[in-house]
Amino acid sequence: MKIVNIFLLIPFIIFSHADDMYLIKGGMTFLPNGEFVKKDLLIDEGQIVLVEDEIGDVGAENIINAEGKYVTPGLVVFSTLGLLEIGSLPQTNDASSNIYNAGFDPSKSFNPFSQAIRLNRSKGVSSTILVPQASGYFSGLFSYTKINSGLKQEKKGPLALLTSFGESYSDSRSAELNFVLDLFNLIRNRPSEKWLYETDNIQFFFGSQNDYKFTSRDLQAIELVLNKSIPLVVRVKKATDIITILEMADTEKIDLVLWGANEAHMVADRIAESGVRVVLDPLDNIPDSFDSLNSTYENAIRLDAAGVEMAFYYAQGAGSHNAYLATQSAGNAVAMGLDYRKALKAITLNPAKFFGLENIGLIAPGFDADIVVWDNDPLELMSNVEAVLIGGEMQDLSNRQDELTDRYIKEKDKPNSYRSRE
Amino acid sequence: MLGRFFSVLTIFLLISCSEISMGSGNNGSNSSASKFEDSIHGTYASTYVPLQSENIIIKNSTLFDGNGNKFENYDIHFSDGDIKAIGSDLKDENAIVIDGTGKFVTPGIIDNHSHMGVYPAPGVSTSSDGNEATNPVTAEVWAEHSVWTQDPQYKLALAGGITTFHVLPGSANLFGGRGVTLKNVSANTVPDMKFPGAPHSLKMACGENPKRVYRSRGPSTRMGNVAGYRTAWIGAEKFRNSLEKNPDLRDLRNETLVGVLDGKILVHNHCYRADEMATMINISDEFGYKVSTFHHGVEAYKIADLLADEGICAALWADWWGFKHEAYDMSIANIAIVDQARGGKGCAIVHSDDASGIQRLNQEAAKALAAGRKAGFDISEGRAMTWITKNPAKSLGILEQTGTLEEGKDADIVIWSGNPFSIYSKAEQVYIDGALAFDKASNFMPHTDFDLGVKEWEDK
Repeated sequence: MKIVNIFLLIPFIIFSHADDMYLIKGGMTFLPNGEFVKKDLLIDEGQIVLVEDEIGDVGAENIINAEGKYVTPGLVVFSTLGLLEIGSLPQTNDASSNIYNAGFDPSKSFNPFSQAIRLNRSKGVSSTILVPQASGYFSGLFSYTKINSGLKQEKKGPLALLTSFGESYSDSRSAELNFVLDLFNLIRNRPSEKWLYETDNIQFFFGSQNDYKFTSRDLQAIELVLNKSIPLVVRVKKATDIITILEMADTEKIDLVLWGANEAHMVADRIAESGVRVVLDPLDNIPDSFDSLNSTYENAIRLDAAGVEMAFYYAQGAGSHNAYLATQSAGNAVAMGLDYRKALKAITLNPAKFFGLENIGLIAPGFDADIVVWDNDPLELMSNVEAVLIGGEMQDLSNRQDELTDRYIKEKDKPNSYRSRE
Repeated sequence: MLGRFFSVLTIFLLISCSEISMGSGNNGSNSSASKFEDSIHGTYASTYVPLQSENIIIKNSTLFDGNGNKFENYDIHFSDGDIKAIGSDLKDENAIVIDGTGKFVTPGIIDNHSHMGVYPAPGVSTSSDGNEATNPVTAEVWAEHSVWTQDPQYKLALAGGITTFHVLPGSANLFGGRGVTLKNVSANTVPDMKFPGAPHSLKMACGENPKRVYRSRGPSTRMGNVAGYRTAWIGAEKFRNSLEKNPDLRDLRNETLVGVLDGKILVHNHCYRADEMATMINISDEFGYKVSTFHHGVEAYKIADLLADEGICAALWADWWGFKHEAYDMSIANIAIVDQARGGKGCAIVHSDDASGIQRLNQEAAKALAAGRKAGFDISEGRAMTWITKNPAKSLGILEQTGTLEEGKDADIVIWSGNPFSIYSKAEQVYIDGALAFDKASNFMPHTDFDLGVKEWEDK
């Protein structure tokens, strides 16, 4: 048994294995009821086994002293982490597709060695829901992956299908809605249109535009929504459009999640009645289009007051590369008046729960041991991450950004040629 | 208590186009170039008049003076638009006393890189006016001639404590045009918003953007970019020589460039990579001008000593990266390393370049401060406050008027609900020239004409 100070963990990382037992002692722990309470956690075989006031000597290989620290579930972020290295270089972008739309699942492109993943892991992110960005009418399929170091990550998917509704250069939203309904009917009446499925990967055009091009793979993805295997996520801003989509989902018997939803606060009661979940960035307060003239910092607060469940993403600045700043979105929601417990759950439990992922995002027995130890309040921007466990495995928190920092502080006076690579 | 309405009559003198050469070639005309030297910006000069100023003492707050200091239980007194004193136990029987117990007071926050007004909300093509992307050299355009005074984004920035912001043209061009410094007040004309006495700036841009935008006609490489800057400066030198013989010569493009060579216009240079910033310094040496500030500078930390030695500020993001190749080598300690160069001689600035980020520059500074401490620097909160107050004021040439809480300066002041380095703190009141511009408790803020009629829901 090793008793290690949290600051001395680094040397042990390379010897850590997923089946090691970890005992995290005495940290202020974010419990499922939303309270921070001083607890000991026992972790074995990648899962949280015990959460108790005091856990004695159970033969854990590693003991982490978290006295005076904050212990939370790992952040679950919405991102293109591992799919996109440099925004302006399309060859480093695997988050988008022109070949497929609804059937596009980017998860096979996931690169666990992306520098963006290393940075986000060091900032408390333990897993991500990958957001597809295909260019057609549908953007593709969401999936889930942990972002532990190494080649092997636990992945799940497809989780949901993404589409958008609202202002468009090319057509009326009425026409676009009818198009989707016609498409749904076509797929539902599959027996009479069986040829669509039998002619594998033959492009099927509704008109001449690329946006309306569907292969059999795309149609099969939409069918997953129609048979309620997965939810449909609709990116929508305008209040009236949100009502249209709520009604469509009700009629079509579709499990719906709203995304973005700048003006959702104006129809908060309608959303709450329908039990629809909303994924948004509380910081989106700019009336950046004619669909979002009523954008406000109050969005999350009013949705919460109406009883709507929310998950948060960070859509400001450099976006996905800094997906860990979901803490900044959540913290500002608290500053605007949202209950702290709900804000923290909106970036840990809810992203997983909304997409049908079980046992992720809480500190409770049976949950994945995705855990972060912070030196202070995790929503404060000046707090630091001290340890991250993903799937019960202690993570290397080094990242290229810190390596560059060290190079220009510690080795500043060396000629370039003599600077180290670490 | 509050003058909510503008009661100031100002006359905006419309000038006929015939008086101004609209092209960029030499064009002798009746109007004199000296018009632009008599007072700042000639006929386009500021017509800003402050709102009704208050006589107020804020007592017993924690006060960041913007000069690097943090004072506990301190008072500040302002009246007639100016700061009268900061200190303990300030008294003026005519002053309204605000209890600042538990509150924090800072100078008005200054963003020296904004595109509000030239890229207003809603972001539609009909008001996308930030890049005159028709020629790699457009030193002749002025951002103030694109600014839309009804942009609903100003008040969002005001709620984040922004009292002054610098609007720049975009970065498509080698020379993007002149920038303008504005007071964050609502007005129907741009001169009514212009910061009195603030010098003009010139936006220049390095790297990927110009060579991408002009790849088919050139420049299409970084060396092409550099040749483009140098060619333009050579042209400016020729124009300056011609002016000696004929002072009435007009040439909009070269008037801007000569303004830089004469030290009257400040260069604000969009530049990410360390090697390119060094090259831009070489160019400034070749032609005898000074770079005021490098903007974005994701690699500024690699040449922090050079920037400190040259007296060049670096306006940086706390953590943006990865959206372009030249933004790949991010260090979250970038701002701190620049600040601490040569024993603290660096001039580091937290900028936004973003209508969302400008609303929370205090939080961006908090992240940069935390990163600096984590990297091992001993940096105080007071010092970090200079990154969003004093240093941007210096970079814009307005430090004599604003940027710190000192006797005689503009009473541009923010009262925060708590420590501005905490995510939970909000600006509660913002004063511009001693006049209340924003009050969270009473939901007082300017609403633009655009806000009328479309707001089904008002921000609390």
